[in-house]
Amino acid sequence: MIAFDYVRPNSAKAAVDAITKDASAQFIAGGSNLVDLMKHGVVAPQKLVDISRLPLNSIEQSGNNIRIGALCLNSEVAEHALIKEKLPLLAQALNAGASPQIRNMATVGGNMLQRTRCTYFYDLAMPCNKRQPGSGCGALKGYNRMHAIFGASNSCIAVHPSDMCVALAALDATVIVAGSKGERKISFVDFHRLPGDTPEKDTHLQKGELITAVEIPVNDGFAKHSLYTKVRDRASYAFALVSVAAALDLQNNTIQHVRLAAGGVAHKPWRLMAAEKYLKGKSPTESNFKAAAEAAMSAAKGYGYNDFKLTLLPNTIIHTLKTIAGV
Amino acid sequence: MTNDNTQDKQEQPGELLETRRQFLKQSSAITAIALVAPALVDAAEKKLDEKAADIFEKVPLSIEINGKQHQLSVEPRVTLLDLLREQLHLTGSKKGCDYGQCGACTVHVNGKRVLSCLSLAVMQDGKKVTTIEGLATGSTLHPMQLAFIKHDGFQCGYCTPGQIMSAVACINEGHAGSDDEIREHMSGNLCRCGAYHNIVAAIREVNAKGGKS
Amino acid sequence: MGKFFERPLVPDDLDRVEGKEKVTGTASYAAEYDVPGVHYGVLVNSSIAKGKISTLNTREAERSPGVVAVVTHLNRPKIPFWDNPPEQQDNKRVEGQEFRVFFDDTIYFDRQPIALVIADTFERATYAASLVKATYKKESPSTNIKNNLDKALTAKQAQDYSRGDKDALKSAPVKIEAQYTTPFQVHNPMETHAATVVWDAPDKVTVYNKTQATKIAQQDIMRTFGLKAENVIVHSPYVGGAFGSSSRVWPEEMAALIGAKKSGKPVKVMLRRDEAFNMVGYRPTSVQRISIGAQSDGTMTGINHEAFGSTSQYEKFAERIVDPTKALYNCANVSTSYRLVPLDMSTPCWTRGPGETSGSFALESAVDELSYALKMDPLELRLKNFAEKDPDNGKPWSSNYLKECYESGAKKFGWKNRNPQPKSMQKDGWLLGMGMAAGIYHAGRSPATVSATLRSNGTLLVQTSVADTGPGSATIMTQIAAEAMSIDVRKVEFQWGHSTLPPAPGQFGSQTTASTGSGVYDAVKALQKKIAGMLSGKQGWAFSGLPVEDISFADEMIVDKNGDKVSYDDALKELSVKEIKAEFESKPTEEREQYSGYSFAAHFVEVLVHPETKMVKMNRVVCAVDAGRVINKKTAASQVYGSMVWGTGIALMEEGILDHRYGRYVNNDFANYHIPVNADICHVDVLFTDKPDPILDPMGAKGLGEIGLVGFAAAVANAVYHATGKRVRDLPITLDKLL
Repeated sequence: MIAFDYVRPNSAKAAVDAITKDASAQFIAGGSNLVDLMKHGVVAPQKLVDISRLPLNSIEQSGNNIRIGALCLNSEVAEHALIKEKLPLLAQALNAGASPQIRNMATVGGNMLQRTRCTYFYDLAMPCNKRQPGSGCGALKGYNRMHAIFGASNSCIAVHPSDMCVALAALDATVIVAGSKGERKISFVDFHRLPGDTPEKDTHLQKGELITAVEIPVNDGFAKHSLYTKVRDRASYAFALVSVAAALDLQNNTIQHVRLAAGGVAHKPWRLMAAEKYLKGKSPTESNFKAAAEAAMSAAKGYGYNDFKLTLLPNTIIHTLKTIAGV
Repeated sequence: MTNDNTQDKQEQPGELLETRRQFLKQSSAITAIALVAPALVDAAEKKLDEKAADIFEKVPLSIEINGKQHQLSVEPRVTLLDLLREQLHLTGSKKGCDYGQCGACTVHVNGKRVLSCLSLAVMQDGKKVTTIEGLATGSTLHPMQLAFIKHDGFQCGYCTPGQIMSAVACINEGHAGSDDEIREHMSGNLCRCGAYHNIVAAIREVNAKGGKS
Repeated sequence: MGKFFERPLVPDDLDRVEGKEKVTGTASYAAEYDVPGVHYGVLVNSSIAKGKISTLNTREAERSPGVVAVVTHLNRPKIPFWDNPPEQQDNKRVEGQEFRVFFDDTIYFDRQPIALVIADTFERATYAASLVKATYKKESPSTNIKNNLDKALTAKQAQDYSRGDKDALKSAPVKIEAQYTTPFQVHNPMETHAATVVWDAPDKVTVYNKTQATKIAQQDIMRTFGLKAENVIVHSPYVGGAFGSSSRVWPEEMAALIGAKKSGKPVKVMLRRDEAFNMVGYRPTSVQRISIGAQSDGTMTGINHEAFGSTSQYEKFAERIVDPTKALYNCANVSTSYRLVPLDMSTPCWTRGPGETSGSFALESAVDELSYALKMDPLELRLKNFAEKDPDNGKPWSSNYLKECYESGAKKFGWKNRNPQPKSMQKDGWLLGMGMAAGIYHAGRSPATVSATLRSNGTLLVQTSVADTGPGSATIMTQIAAEAMSIDVRKVEFQWGHSTLPPAPGQFGSQTTASTGSGVYDAVKALQKKIAGMLSGKQGWAFSGLPVEDISFADEMIVDKNGDKVSYDDALKELSVKEIKAEFESKPTEEREQYSGYSFAAHFVEVLVHPETKMVKMNRVVCAVDAGRVINKKTAASQVYGSMVWGTGIALMEEGILDHRYGRYVNNDFANYHIPVNADICHVDVLFTDKPDPILDPMGAKGLGEIGLVGFAAAVANAVYHATGKRVRDLPITLDKLL
């Protein structure tokens, strides 16, 4: 690891200033992904701005929104009474991620900014457009079992590895960011981006911007009928092959509202809009769930090793919806 | 390489706005040297680098480890795990992967289990760290240590300190209610010898005896 | 024989003698010795799998702060055995030219070490290593076994085998034929390979390393550097898991030796996890074709087993992949062949249940397939073909309680409740499958030398160079010594894991208890004889002039046949000596040659398969094991639990994956190479027959470290087939293969 400077400003503003004036500086909070990337030499910031002690770690409800500070630990959010009651889907997704130790380190903001776990991205000897633009994509014709089936480009077929983000995408969260020009809000589904020709950019965050919180609208119907299903190669402590976050607002045997998102299938948490549209107003039956899953898959494309996801994802969608609806 | 000026008084962590390395980089002395002949730069840089790293690249770190206060000076790139193992010779915390994928380096920081391999030491300033070496009370082993021996919760012993630190936390967190819950909440600690069966037995027993710590 | 552990002096569930050190973090592993002035060596690895190094620029690394040396093939010190090799190269455990780190510019495998950067701190060495730049003349690597079967070679250790009529199965009324594959499996002990080297003098070195055999490490280092035995000191009392991967000296040890010599500093090198995948051995990948023919009553009439296993380009590594096929079933007509496919990878090495594990997956899957073809219960089929003597050589078994394993295992498991029809059983909405398989593993024994010393404080010191990488050998040796001496187990001090101690075989091949345990037993008996002789020879007291055989040792006393007794301490006082020491080399008896020695197991596995996602969950396991007399219930059960975890990994998730375009690993970390976590493991019942083997050794113990793994993966695969109707013949059984 390269030697770097370390600063620990005591305000969000000072932190933003510290990043803004130094091109190679990066924020560090939990460090559970950044330190790993630095050890691999994938990133080499010359300055780390430690934001871990900034007062951005409260969880509170105001009106119809729950606001979670960006520096709340994953474990704090997952164990918080308000989250367990109002946003059980988020708690489930968080607990499906990583390990208890990592959940005690990783923050909500940091989780959103996780880099892909694509093995070609991590290995400096391999081509990777995300790490080194223009070097090619090793995974496209290589070992791509973990890779995207939606929204990929010829430049990059990596997936976003987070579980938490899949739930946040499903729950219509909003990201609050502070920058040198003040605060702005980004809809969660627009926070991460597709790779296109510039896979080096994971999100729409601007240089110097600091995530301060996420806001999630509360829906009591969703709280009663939601489930996060994670399918992986072992029972725990593994990244998702696919995952599905689903929430149904069921009234009189009719799906009033539905939220569906998938993980492990795209460069960003993948909201399954077509399936949602199909299900809205319909009854919660297996055949409707199958049709919705089919609708969800219309734009999917396999790349060889990951072709199985074309079957696994719809199966997982159907299983998740059936379990929620009890059919 | 560690300046371990162990003191009783704990220094309060505060804002740290600029490291001395930054100061060095900006100092005119280096800029001036860069204008001299390459050979001379080489020699000067090499000599300077040696001293520079020791004097300028380190930042102060006040940290309590197993109840003992340490006033240290470390490079920001030193992880908590390497600080423990290589500078303080507390080798009980193990390096199994160094990338946060095995749990062998698990320690408690301010009472919570974390991975020391992904924790920068400098970020632990002002915090309390407990490692496997600090778990026993004098010569009296912690109930979890005794249970691991009784139930043969290890073979080679390499993942064991991490397992035990994690096991103690697992109970403290209230995640030892059933075998399934223990298994899930101990899944961040890999054991290649395959002692999982016995690890669960040890935790089950300590939990049943109300073995909070 | 047969009296073991009947006395209260030696509990048969003794806690591990090194337990306290391990649970308090005070046990020191190879990279944890506080060596004054130690420097850190970090390897630089090739970015190609095959070719030559064109340029190697170390200038920037050398200038980097704290760096004392950068060692490469261009500047390494002369190494006697490499630079002036003797004409006759003996002491080869594999055929071919062993890998020599930093020898020249040739690259044989991905991430081959090309430089060692040595600096005063780990961080500085690591950073400086990133500054070493190499360019290469690349060649196209071959790492895919399936594309290279036509290049297969024969090896000395892998001769074709045939008994009876090779074509017998052609006319069998019921016949199955199938191809099975097993992937690269990497040992991945939790401690990565490490060595700390101190050159005490130009011709004298101390190495703290990670080895299953301090004596092998010592000999390899002596040979390579032309040193005397007494000048090579190898310490390895604590080994953080090995499973076969520390059965020879590897590049990180050699690099530390060379680096320490070059730099004049003590040097420690600890591999990163990613480096441990293709440098320190692994289980070779295999392609196997099996055909079995049977009469309609299930009698096997012919088995053909053709296996291909991978090796490196520079060594032929052969394992025992077809051995279970030769001995497990009473079949008159059996033929096997085993060929090695050289790939552009490092050399594989012994991996827990070496050969037998991969081979038994194919054999025991095929037997299951045969049972369906016969419409016969797979347990009944196995009983039908039970071999009453070793069908390979006609010798009687030294002991064989496999039938008892089948019966006790089936009973405990509830095998009779199984509906034979695939896809017929369910639990909580999941598909339920039950499968079983048998295991067989050679029970061997090698010479071992042990010393036993009775000391004036009444304690017994027992010493031998054997390793304890986790099986509990130190504990078992302590028990055996206490039992043989008739002394409280707490008064036994056992020392192990140093090359300076009397020579014991390496801790592999499930032979430690039989070999070194016999050594301990015999050394104690030799000590007793010596004490008796001295007592008899001393004039003027109760024991004077008594025949030695009339003096016995019981309940911590020395007793003559008249009932006169003297305590061990008093005996030493009487003899005016501080201690009495005996050393003994224990060897297998000639009688042993008349018998065929094996451990046996029967595995019963229940899996649940999710109907939609096809995730496979282990639900219940029963392992019934015949490993002879169990010396320590606790550590013995742990060996089988561990095998079950290994078997689960092999069956369901473990697979070393290379991108064959580059010949480079793409899952060489614990995030992508999955080994089972706690949540993957289900309840296991371990049943031991616990009946002594009367031939192999004085304790009646057979090997236990590997038998629990042999056949296990097949039992899982057979259960998955029973649950789903899908026969997966290519391990691991990941869910994509079931969709």
